[in-house]
Amino acid sequence: MPLKGLGGKRALVTGAASGIGAAVCERLRDAGVQVFATDIHQSGGLIVADLSDAADVEKLVAAVGTPDFLVNVAGGPVAPSRDNTLPDLPKQSMMLEDINESEWARVLAANLTTAFLVCREFAPRMKARKSGRIINFTSIAARRGSDRVGVHYAAAKGGIIGLTKTLALELGPFGITVNAIAPGFIKTERIAKASWGMPSPEAEKRFVESLPLRRAGEPDDIAGVVAMLCSEAGAYVSGATIDVNGGWYFGP
Amino acid sequence: MRKTQGGGLKKVAIVTGGAKPDSIGAAVVRGLQEEGMQVVVADLYEAGFGAMKDAHCIRADVADPKAVDAMVAATIAKFGRVDVLVNCVGGSWGITVEDLTAPPPRGFRGLTNCSLDDWRTILGANLDSAFYCCRSAAPHLKKQGGAIVNLASIAARKGIPPGAEGSSGPYAVAKAGVMALTRQLALELGEFGVRANCVAPGVIASGRLAKVLAISGKGKGPEGPLAQIPMGRVGTVEETAALIVALCTDDTSYMTGAMIDINGASYAA
Repeated sequence: MPLKGLGGKRALVTGAASGIGAAVCERLRDAGVQVFATDIHQSGGLIVADLSDAADVEKLVAAVGTPDFLVNVAGGPVAPSRDNTLPDLPKQSMMLEDINESEWARVLAANLTTAFLVCREFAPRMKARKSGRIINFTSIAARRGSDRVGVHYAAAKGGIIGLTKTLALELGPFGITVNAIAPGFIKTERIAKASWGMPSPEAEKRFVESLPLRRAGEPDDIAGVVAMLCSEAGAYVSGATIDVNGGWYFGP
Repeated sequence: MRKTQGGGLKKVAIVTGGAKPDSIGAAVVRGLQEEGMQVVVADLYEAGFGAMKDAHCIRADVADPKAVDAMVAATIAKFGRVDVLVNCVGGSWGITVEDLTAPPPRGFRGLTNCSLDDWRTILGANLDSAFYCCRSAAPHLKKQGGAIVNLASIAARKGIPPGAEGSSGPYAVAKAGVMALTRQLALELGEFGVRANCVAPGVIASGRLAKVLAISGKGKGPEGPLAQIPMGRVGTVEETAALIVALCTDDTSYMTGAMIDINGASYAA
């Protein structure tokens, strides 16, 4: 059945300037959802905000009000800043000894603090309305570990799973579901540009062909799962981490 | 974006255990029909066949591999293809010809006190049945790609606490087997464009739950099913079916081998 319960709803999507976030906005708009999109990177029609800064998060409220769906896509293995809002991803794997304290703190802030602050701002508003859906983004890096993205990113995304499970317990009595999506290898433009730590196109081809579905994921593959969780299909799903990785890794 | 596979031809879905009213399976049948699919229902519950609008019903004991082969062959003979398989048959009781409409047996049936017949029957209806149906449908699914959804249970995650009625220890083991079966199929069928995923429901307001509550009398209160569900309610068959149906569409085109818990936040795996 075409997904039910989306038309006429309101969503806030963070990290919406490119890649998965942009695809989520498009998918939800196609389903009749009024989408408020935010990113630290300026792009047409977006609300620009640094979500690791509580003052910026608070400012979103005036524009957005109380969303039905909160989709926290913002994050990545390299933290953006107000000066470099869409940083390139590294072409090499990030090793432990190459990560300094500043990068550790910034990647934790970009991936975990952002979700915490946005949830803390909007969950009370959803509680007052006794309904809402919160979708956070973790990663396969938190599920199986990673030999590319660095311990800071994997640890931050592991934190997202703990945050998600705890909020599911805390917000369940208010009719709010909280889930996490764990994407695998999703070939966004930024990741394609960096070859994502693959030494050669041949190595990437070998890796992709080792996946059960024999292909890299596309941002649309993730956007569909977001739409599913926002629809009637997600009404009783809460506390779950949904693996979307073409069979690369099986979670618990 | 949501696309329909099959080049405009009507997709064909087999749903096992779809004929009992107020079941998850019956809601799945309606949901797949709303997606535009031709649905074949395989079930022992013939009394429900008359009410299955537009579905093709086949009486089959899916715990019997010969009956499963015949059911899939009949589907191919009539509709020529299989795109989707949803294995809903299962449970700890009401799963054989003899006890199909019986009330649930009283008392706790754990691994240490169930009969060997209980073990064999429950494993047969929950695990063997999924294996037989997947195996028999696989060659047809592989032809054009498709989706398998198996029904596991929260019981596979956390077990059945001693004293609980209406479920059983063998059921928890069988459903954990269904999870492993699903992962294995994801590996074997992925290259053919066939995805296999698993849904693990918690307490769902099906006709079966009503029968359990009727004998145990524990609808509400500290021992009732609501007590340990943060969302404060049981799930509906419609929302469970909506999730299962979404796993059969292109919204989930990159998901395979995944376990989706649907339990109102009562157990986060």
